[in-house]
Amino acid sequence: MTLPADAAATLKRAALKGGAVVCGVADAAAFDALAPAGHRPADLLPGARAVVVVGGAAPREGDWAATSPWVLSTMGTTERIQSVGRRMAQWIESEWGYYALFVPPGTSSGDQPFLSLMLAAELAGVGSRSLAGPVLNREHGFMYWSAVITTAPLTADGPEAEPACPAPPCREMWEREGTTPCLRVCPLSDNGCLEGRITNGRAERTGYDAARCRTRVHTHWIPGFQKVLETTLDEPDKDKRKMLLYGDFMTRTLWAMTYSSTNIAQCFECMRVCPAAHGLKEMR
Amino acid sequence: MEPATSLETRVKSAGLAAGARVVGIAAVEAFRAAVPEGYRPEDILPGARSVIVAGGDGPTAGAWRCPDHRVMEITGYDLRENVAVHVMCDFIERELGHYAIQAPSLSVHGHEPPMSMMHAAELAGLGSRSLAAHIILNPEYGLLYYAALITTLPLEPDPPLAEPACPHPGCAAMYKRIGTTPCLRVCPACLTGSVKDNRIERSTYDRERCHSRAQTYGIGSFQKSLLQIVNEDDPERRHTMIHGDFFTKSLEAVGFFRDSIAQCFECMRVCPVGRKHRKLQ
Repeated sequence: MTLPADAAATLKRAALKGGAVVCGVADAAAFDALAPAGHRPADLLPGARAVVVVGGAAPREGDWAATSPWVLSTMGTTERIQSVGRRMAQWIESEWGYYALFVPPGTSSGDQPFLSLMLAAELAGVGSRSLAGPVLNREHGFMYWSAVITTAPLTADGPEAEPACPAPPCREMWEREGTTPCLRVCPLSDNGCLEGRITNGRAERTGYDAARCRTRVHTHWIPGFQKVLETTLDEPDKDKRKMLLYGDFMTRTLWAMTYSSTNIAQCFECMRVCPAAHGLKEMR
Repeated sequence: MEPATSLETRVKSAGLAAGARVVGIAAVEAFRAAVPEGYRPEDILPGARSVIVAGGDGPTAGAWRCPDHRVMEITGYDLRENVAVHVMCDFIERELGHYAIQAPSLSVHGHEPPMSMMHAAELAGLGSRSLAAHIILNPEYGLLYYAALITTLPLEPDPPLAEPACPHPGCAAMYKRIGTTPCLRVCPACLTGSVKDNRIERSTYDRERCHSRAQTYGIGSFQKSLLQIVNEDDPERRHTMIHGDFFTKSLEAVGFFRDSIAQCFECMRVCPVGRKHRKLQ
């Protein structure tokens, strides 16, 4: 089956109808120069020609505005965008008869993803990296990503011409104070995670403590469980062991890991203060 | 004047629109022949008249082609059939005014579920048991995942398959030629069986072995690892076991973030039933 002339537009309409906020297409070959061997589209799907990226399911503006930190730290992340990606893979196969592989979320081993969703979003023109790290869409800001690798010869979108970061207020702040909201809220030099600068209006990251960021973002997650388990088994005192297992940290970690909640990420502070992360739409 | 759409079609359409690949209907009476008292649909929902079964897609054709086996470990399941069942339940209760519940399918004692989805799928005419660990194969799509609902709504049932999906004609011919089939050949450790007159003559499998391979990472491996960790006296070794890949993957599998439910698909990989849907461009 040959693809219809407006295939990419049709696909994007289907993705938006399925729950995506944005959808873009990257050329599979564009990953070759930027992604390590084994983590390129053709490594996962022989004959890959395009990567479809969908974004959405971000916290709502009300979540960001909530005064309780527990709102975002327990409900800021959802996996809804992954179901959109999965459905798009099925859609491509059933509608057009081309192979489509839904890129699994998470990592294939260690911290290595199967395919970098951030890179995919950049190459598909739906976002660009921010000084804080996350890929931001120019119109909608921070969101979560899912990708589908396909053999369908879809016309690729180019990367965004202008990045969302730094936002105009951040440029002004840099000129005035030599910092930005994200760098100020989480400075690497003061037990934070981020370091960077703005040169000629462009954000440039000069430092990032990934390990520290991870322990803060995923305070209550699988590594938290492993940490408490080890501490408990190393603890000779029975009463202390009981406190460790029944304490808040372990309890919240178990909530985070199981199906009972969407308690996946706990730190959103760099995104909370980022003007670009909240998109262009103003809320009342 | 347009003909009125039947109740059966309306219910099935709701399920198909919600993501089911196939939907079939069985009468509750059909369960009585093979299901012991206490496990029949009417034992679960008083006054039950029908069981509606939804089959959801397995891996995409692209996923089957992926040379990295870990992709199928994580994305092999879709679980959409459960959504379709809930949508049909809502439709039946809200639009048609009959009780409807999702049929309980998770094991409650050992491997025993309160109600067998495999048997429900067979009775609803959606598939038949195969030589490959008795996995239900749909004659058109091959491997699908099944969920069901029980309702007090009386519906015209679909007939069971006139011809079983397994053995596929190619497998029957292969058996005649060399005494085996693709699934039996690829996994002689788990599967045994024979074919006679183009029908399954005998089929059995080592469920414990199959289970430990199909679910290398899951609740079972979490329990196994945890016991070993707790029994390990050396703190250094404990540290390695707790933070090692096996235990981490087991935790990821029991967590909800990834759909890492099954890790072995080899008998289905070689099965020709439904393969036409896996051959794309």
